[in-house]
Amino acid sequence: MTILATEGLTKRFPRVTALDQLTVVAGTGVTGLVGANGAGKSTLIKILLGLLPASAGRASVLGMDAAVQGLEIRRSVGYMPEHECLPPDVSATEFVVHMAQMSGLPRTAARERAADTLRHVGLHEERYRPIGGYSTGMKQRVKLAQALVHDPKVVFLDEPTNGLDPQGRDEMLALIRRIGTEFGISVLVTSHLLGELERICDHVIVIDGGRLLRSSAIGELTQVTQAVAVEVEEGWEQLARHLTEAGETVAVEGRLLTVQVRADATFDTLRDALCDLDLHLVRLEQRHGRIEDVFK
Amino acid sequence: MSSPPTGVIHDIGYRHYDGVRLSRGYAATALALNSLRGVFGLGRTARSKIIPFLIAAVMLLPAVVSIAVMALLKQQAVGYSEYAVTMQAVLALFLAAQSPYLVAPDLRFRVLPLYLSRPLKVLDYVAAKFVALVIALFLLMAVPLTLIYIGELLVELETPVKHAEYFSSMGGAVIFAVVLASIGLALASFTPRRGLGVASVIAFYMFTLAASAVFFGVLMSEGQDPAAKWSILLNPFFLVDAVQVNLFGTEPTNGEGYPPGLGPAAITLLVVALALGALFLRYRKAASS
Repeated sequence: MTILATEGLTKRFPRVTALDQLTVVAGTGVTGLVGANGAGKSTLIKILLGLLPASAGRASVLGMDAAVQGLEIRRSVGYMPEHECLPPDVSATEFVVHMAQMSGLPRTAARERAADTLRHVGLHEERYRPIGGYSTGMKQRVKLAQALVHDPKVVFLDEPTNGLDPQGRDEMLALIRRIGTEFGISVLVTSHLLGELERICDHVIVIDGGRLLRSSAIGELTQVTQAVAVEVEEGWEQLARHLTEAGETVAVEGRLLTVQVRADATFDTLRDALCDLDLHLVRLEQRHGRIEDVFK
Repeated sequence: MSSPPTGVIHDIGYRHYDGVRLSRGYAATALALNSLRGVFGLGRTARSKIIPFLIAAVMLLPAVVSIAVMALLKQQAVGYSEYAVTMQAVLALFLAAQSPYLVAPDLRFRVLPLYLSRPLKVLDYVAAKFVALVIALFLLMAVPLTLIYIGELLVELETPVKHAEYFSSMGGAVIFAVVLASIGLALASFTPRRGLGVASVIAFYMFTLAASAVFFGVLMSEGQDPAAKWSILLNPFFLVDAVQVNLFGTEPTNGEGYPPGLGPAAITLLVVALALGALFLRYRKAASS
């Protein structure tokens, strides 16, 4: 089933072209929209919500034309903006109840849904306190809750991991994955880090300068970008030489080696090299492909 | 002997909502109601209740005094149609203090995009805020007027009960509320900072108050009575009073009378249209950015 589709979508502002002949299709599940800042991600979301008219081309969400059926689209879509958007002097509960009413839920239903949704995003007793005193992580959860409270069919999440610490980032990503699978709500999530989207998306769309760079299922993409980062206490030159001799592609950035994964055998080679050279391993982690890698 | 625990917590997981989804009208009404409560500080912190309730109490004072005077001296103290003009400073203070609350936080904290991502249009949002302020201002005038009316009905005065004057003053209160709310909101919406909004509404009122008084005084002393009567309409309170006088035949509060005919009413309509137009354009711009 097609959740959203654009065809030759173009948006020109007086000074910049935000979207240029963009044609993309996204189905159910979690779709990642990756692009550097200013690539046109937020503009695309605004057009899809029917809030911004396109200069040319067409866009549709759930089969509805964004140019004329904005109201109907917004009835079945949730939106979490990138920027801060919460009033500080009300509690999360009151705010989310209010936003549910704005989506047309009667007051009692709004209260129930707000309580449910806040529990799902992981806000508990603190939901009765004014939002002004929340941490960034809690605020992000409230922003997510208001996008889900009316049980939309699709949610647009604009940079949901912005400003979060690594743990908060992981929790948010896990939550987004749950929304897409367990909750059965399709997700369009934007980020400028391809790596974090790799972990949760079924499909990734990469745009740059308002143009489509690539649109593919996650499997194809991770193969391209898989790499491991290795950091050892000393002797990294030795290790780099050893690995290169073994036929691996190694890039050196300071003390950090990035080894491209050709096949599973690469991991064995790396392990054996570390053992043979008797090096003290500091760090060994999967290197998340960055947006720049796709551009190469 | 302890009985085994009976309560069990089930994680029922995510539940979908298949209840009713009401129309845009419902959402706009809910927003207006929420805003109206907020104007009086209801559902907000204790501190934000102080000013609106203090002002509401001050608005009630003349009515209470009037009822006491009626009961004791069998005389009417305050007339219906002059109530709003007499209390204009208090009403202006309320407008300045509370209209920024309605518009500024949503702009400053960027809540507006969230409203617009729901099945609401810019017009619905603006209309809800406007209606909330109109009702708040109307209540501020209508409650004391109604108290006086009830007092007049209960106390046996020698003069007949002024039914007509009460009802025309209620009509006047609606016009006052619409004019004040449109000006207050339009001025307040141009800045996302609440303090600046308060200052700009107060400054506007003080300016019109001073300008109308100065023009009126100067023109009267030069014997140009008609021009003087037009110039006093610079103050929105006298402008609406002029409409009351011409439409409902009430007594002019300024003591000198106003220009006759439909002129003042036309100016009032124009002022409201301009203010609401500016407000709408302001929000259309805010919505597209």
